Amino acid sequence: MGHPAGRLAGKVAIVTGAGCVGPGWGNGRAIAVRFAQEGAQVFAVDKELAAMDETLALIKQAGGEVTPYACDVTDSAAIQKLVEVCLTRYGTVDILVNNVGGPSRGGPIELSEENWDKQIDINLKTVFLMCKYVMPVMEAKGAGSIVNISSTSGIRFTGAPQVGYAAAKAGVIQFGRVVGVEYAKKGIRINTVLPGQLHTPLVEATLAGAQSAGDSERLLKIRQARIPMPFMGDGRDTANAVLFLASDEARFITGTELIVDGGMSAKCD
Amino acid sequence: MFRLDGKIALVTGCGTLGEGWGNGKAIAVALARQGASVFGSDLNLEAALETQRIITEEGGSCHVMVADATQAEDVKKLVDACIAQYGRIDILVNNVGRSEPGDPVSMSEETWDDQMDVNVKGAFLACKYVLPTMAAQGGGSVISISSVAAHRYIGKPQVGYAAGKAALEQLMKTTGVIYADRGVRLNSVAPGLMFTPLVKRLADKYAKGDFEGFVAHRHKQVPAGYMGESWDVAHAVVFLASDEARYITGQTIVVDGGIISATR
Repeated sequence: MGHPAGRLAGKVAIVTGAGCVGPGWGNGRAIAVRFAQEGAQVFAVDKELAAMDETLALIKQAGGEVTPYACDVTDSAAIQKLVEVCLTRYGTVDILVNNVGGPSRGGPIELSEENWDKQIDINLKTVFLMCKYVMPVMEAKGAGSIVNISSTSGIRFTGAPQVGYAAAKAGVIQFGRVVGVEYAKKGIRINTVLPGQLHTPLVEATLAGAQSAGDSERLLKIRQARIPMPFMGDGRDTANAVLFLASDEARFITGTELIVDGGMSAKCD
Repeated sequence: MFRLDGKIALVTGCGTLGEGWGNGKAIAVALARQGASVFGSDLNLEAALETQRIITEEGGSCHVMVADATQAEDVKKLVDACIAQYGRIDILVNNVGRSEPGDPVSMSEETWDDQMDVNVKGAFLACKYVLPTMAAQGGGSVISISSVAAHRYIGKPQVGYAAGKAALEQLMKTTGVIYADRGVRLNSVAPGLMFTPLVKRLADKYAKGDFEGFVAHRHKQVPAGYMGESWDVAHAVVFLASDEARYITGQTIVVDGGIISATR
């Protein structure tokens, strides 16, 4: 262990969606790397092992500890296996970060029923299922911290119709509040981070295609115009917020949200 | 990045009356432990000096002075003194505040005015004199200590405090948008029920001095089953003060063990 004095020293953390769709700082990659830098043993999960190559390289570079694991976290049986493998590898789970998700374009008329179901599954049900199988481990030891990644799209219209995503991300926020209250006495904290319109590799990989005819520069300009701060944040800003909430520094914080958006949601015009 | 080495922090209400750790004292000491130099103010010089003694003994840098955060001339003097001492201000913590009981019928107009002054005008004045310096420096972080009373009725009538703290959070949110282009971030921390030395005075004010009963009731009100400590507030302040929160502005971190997420 390269970081005995780190803020997550000795903690075992499952991070889902730890890969990235391209080079740069996506949320999941930044969280996994930041956690490892602070001494956590990271159980890094993604649907595709190959998506985590750069994440693993960055963690190894930092002298951190990581185990990559491929899993579809919409699949209940696969998650149960995931938890077993993590317990075999590291013996416990202290921290769970539910980072899997992604938007699909459309209002109620354009979005197909099939895509609505998919949006709820990937953005909300993944949180439910991961909690279902990880929380018993935390409950048994009387301690644990869960951080879910929502979005400012869960609290505002943010420029593009994506009702499935917006509704599911709002669901993630309320899930965190009610489960946070229910499990407060059992020592499990659950909080939500809401990233705003950050410049993550997702912008180039998919959002520009869906929102600005593939012109990512134009999309970045449109997004920046909504943000009071004169620059775009990236996955590392999400990661630092997740780190704070996951750590013992936040031991009295539960059932709440932290918005990381450069002030975007504080204004409406 | 979580470190605050080289940063100058101005903390109002930095002392704790009597023994123990109030929010201001814990915040000042926590900032100093992360490497910040602290300039603190309090109405009570002895309380401020005790905070200074702790920071200095731990090897940190701290200066204090007496100032009434609700008086413009006092606040201006405080800001000038901090700049004279350290040359800049990177972090401002507005920690002054106080709850008085009452609803619109039972609360006097004088008490209402006093509640507005102590819970929100103090932060307005501090911003008035500190923001130009932060803007000229190219950045800074302002953190105001609010309360969950700004969000919910929490079991006792204190309408001036509740309205004042809600106003404080909105002062931070809107000023955060206005100053975002100059690199100044403004946020709030809203503590819930905390076990601080203040609880003794609250028990006198709200529970006819039944301290034990008041404490037991407060522990029970929190979903976590226990009140928080000033350190929990201080850690949230340190995070918001640090560069790790560089993309966070206009926000409130609620530190309450889950209390405002439940209606029970």
